Amino acid sequence: MSDFLQYTVFGVMLGAGFAIAATGLVVTYAASGVFNFAHGAVGMTAAFLYWELVVHDHVPVPLALVVVLLVVAPLFGALVERVLMRRLHGASAERPVLVTLGLLVILTGVATLVWSPTVTRVVNPLVAGTFRLVGVNIEYQYVITVGLAAVVAVALRLLFFSTRTGLALRAVVDDPDLLAMAGASPNRVSQLGWVLGFVLAALAGVLIAGTQSTGVNIAALTLLVVNGYAAAVVGRLRNIPVTFAAAVGIGLAESYVNSYAVPHLAQNLQTDVPLVLPMIFFFVALVTVPAARLRAVGRLTTVRAQRLVGARQAALSGIAFAVVVVLCAVALAGDQSNGTTVLDLAGQVMAFGIVGLSLVLVTGYAGQVSLCQFAFMGIGAFVMGKVAGGGSLLGLVAAAGVCGVLGALVALPTVRLRDLYLALATFAFADAVATGFFADVHVFGSGGLTVGRVVLPGLSFGGDRAELLLVAGCFLGCAWLVLALRRSLVGRRLVALNDSPAAFATVGLNVPATRVVVFAVGAAMAGLAGALYGTVEGVVGTSDFSVFAGVIFFLFVTTWSVRSVGGALLASITYVVLANVWDNGLGLFAGAGVILVGRAAAGILGAEPLQRFAPLASRSTGRSGPAGEALGADSRAAEGAFALGSEARAAG
Amino acid sequence: MPGVPGVPGVADGPAALVVSGVSVRFGGVLALDDVSLEAAPGHVTGLIGPNGAGKTTLFNVVSGLHHPDHGTVHLFGRDVTALAPPARARLGLARTFQRLELFGSLTVEENVLVGLESTAVWWHRRHRRRRQGPGALDEADRRRAARAARILAEVGLTSVAGVQASTLPTGLARMAELARALAIDPRLLLLDEPGSGLDRAESAALGDLLVRLASSGVAVLLVEHDMELVMRVCDPIHVLDFGHVIASGAPAEVREDPAVQAAYLGAVPDGVGVAGGDR
Repeated sequence: MSDFLQYTVFGVMLGAGFAIAATGLVVTYAASGVFNFAHGAVGMTAAFLYWELVVHDHVPVPLALVVVLLVVAPLFGALVERVLMRRLHGASAERPVLVTLGLLVILTGVATLVWSPTVTRVVNPLVAGTFRLVGVNIEYQYVITVGLAAVVAVALRLLFFSTRTGLALRAVVDDPDLLAMAGASPNRVSQLGWVLGFVLAALAGVLIAGTQSTGVNIAALTLLVVNGYAAAVVGRLRNIPVTFAAAVGIGLAESYVNSYAVPHLAQNLQTDVPLVLPMIFFFVALVTVPAARLRAVGRLTTVRAQRLVGARQAALSGIAFAVVVVLCAVALAGDQSNGTTVLDLAGQVMAFGIVGLSLVLVTGYAGQVSLCQFAFMGIGAFVMGKVAGGGSLLGLVAAAGVCGVLGALVALPTVRLRDLYLALATFAFADAVATGFFADVHVFGSGGLTVGRVVLPGLSFGGDRAELLLVAGCFLGCAWLVLALRRSLVGRRLVALNDSPAAFATVGLNVPATRVVVFAVGAAMAGLAGALYGTVEGVVGTSDFSVFAGVIFFLFVTTWSVRSVGGALLASITYVVLANVWDNGLGLFAGAGVILVGRAAAGILGAEPLQRFAPLASRSTGRSGPAGEALGADSRAAEGAFALGSEARAAG
Repeated sequence: MPGVPGVPGVADGPAALVVSGVSVRFGGVLALDDVSLEAAPGHVTGLIGPNGAGKTTLFNVVSGLHHPDHGTVHLFGRDVTALAPPARARLGLARTFQRLELFGSLTVEENVLVGLESTAVWWHRRHRRRRQGPGALDEADRRRAARAARILAEVGLTSVAGVQASTLPTGLARMAELARALAIDPRLLLLDEPGSGLDRAESAALGDLLVRLASSGVAVLLVEHDMELVMRVCDPIHVLDFGHVIASGAPAEVREDPAVQAAYLGAVPDGVGVAGGDR
């Protein structure tokens, strides 16, 4: 009985911490319509800053709290709103998701540079010590956490329902423009939302870190705060009382499962399950709770369509690409960079390039944001290493097949999710796979999994040169497939589905089936890429496929252009080169890239000056048509009327 | 031009659409209350009513995007109440949207192609290529392109076939939606305010097109605020107000109905000039 009470007390305390984190998310979302993916990273950064001040610089706790919670966090929140978010007004729905993801990898990147990522730090509780109550040990930190959560709940209640500002906060959710007409400033309300959100994230970070007596590292603490996301999703991103209740429920569930169920599991699962559990809760919440009606940050902007690449142009580019690869293979053999041969790097570029192509298909064409391609990649590498002792052609096929089936299984429950919710679900899946599967000692092992190079009867790809040609050949094949699909009715369907699911269904096409199939094909491509990556590297390990690496790569692809093969290739080159030169700086570059691209959904390659070199679709109709950009809407309509009238007369 | 009563040459088969006793509730609002109506092949059936009367909700129920709380929907004699939108489309139902739902990143022609190809399955294409050689495939593509061109000509969009759909002004965009709907070769066509954003000449041409469609045996259900257009081409007309059907009948009857005048036409003599979308 006293055990049960002990676990309950711990669960409530944990839940209170999650509740503070979750309400921060809800407040920011309510005020600005943006789900802050970086919320967990803000909490982590605040906790580590607090550690720096208190443990390293011996600043008194109250002063450190004031600096972190009342100076740094609010200023940073206001800055983020002003510099990053305000200019996204009117951008398409996925841009805020990308920019907050960019902020996430920047914060974890900076933290990695300042505080070593592998060192575990013990963040002191605000007040150390415990007391006993009805046979239960209670830490003062627990009481403080629950008390502060209650204070936050009451304060937010008062703010929302008893102040003019609160009224504006509730009103801005419905219509920022109307709020502006009523005399309040939507920008200021939005900024307040970000400030409050950052303060709550920082508070949650400091409190949650203080309860982890064995210490935390950067990734672990960031993902701990992510626990709060599930509660926010249950509260449908707007209901604070429900969010609170859900957070406490999640805290209790984690405490009970970890205390009662986990000790009976196999040794390796005892370490895996507690890490995966939060992401399972998160995933289940996402697929079961009806999605909140997402607010666009403003009117959706028109994205200029990427021009189609014709069969001839694709073939010519492919031949040119093949020639360059062969020349590289001949010229660069033996050159080394940081102990890796340049040919290996080129092989990596090709392998990651295939992952990029899978994103072009899934995200670029079909509009499904997938943050779990690296998870499929890792699974592909694992399958490749295990099938027939590694290095067999069968392994490549199996890697693609297994990942294709897994992709379909992930897509089935998430099929009704779009944009933000799909991004969150795939993020949860990627993290569950990374922490629960890849990190398991039986999967990649402590020294990594040996994959080996492909050997066919009478043909070995053991040499670096042959290996590069194999991987480049696969890249070319996938690129051809992606471009051919886009030109075909399949491509038209994917783009159509992304543009309007309602119209897609009413012309007789099946929305869920199309989404599942395209996601599965993308997963299969990523699995193939992982298998090939394994053959290039020879040995693969957990760190190759981390969830943050996956996010960083995703951001590079969207920065260059997620709608073109060139974007996938350039992203892959950027990723591999930077990872080889300055691994810890990857997140900074990825975040900076996505922030600089800002609201331009088409990425760098889709930018107007570059597109001008391409023959625009509208030009092909000639100047006589009413399509010319110079013509105003009125004259276009008039010409349309003339056409309509004359056609109808001609027909009648 | 007179209305288009039962077109000669079109057999009076079963009604294309039978809506019976449909109710839809949004929270505390009863958007549709026990609505029953029919649309017959060979007729342009009008559905009018003030903004918020429930016209678009009814379209969503008929096309399967919204499930009614009560009531049934029959298409061509078959109960489709439980069917998903694609299955209804395959029975011959096509619609346009009041709030435009074009495939904005595709060209106008590609929008029509997606409709034309909606029954095509790509592995069938590969199969055919293997059996009959690549020529057969090209032939199918050519036929499809020719049909797309014919449909675009019919709605007057030939000159903008290659333009990205999201850049079209509203009037042309509505015609593009109509073209995409025609591409699935519908037997029942639901049009949600196709005339808003069109000027008089355009809307006259639209009326002619609808009459021609009806005379070829298509059942057309038209939601429209342009009374001149409705009175010219529709017969019968149903009037919806606050989720109820308050009147049904020929244009003249509906125009004279006191309930209709009170609910809807009251302030507008002769039923002219109530054009404009509800937004």
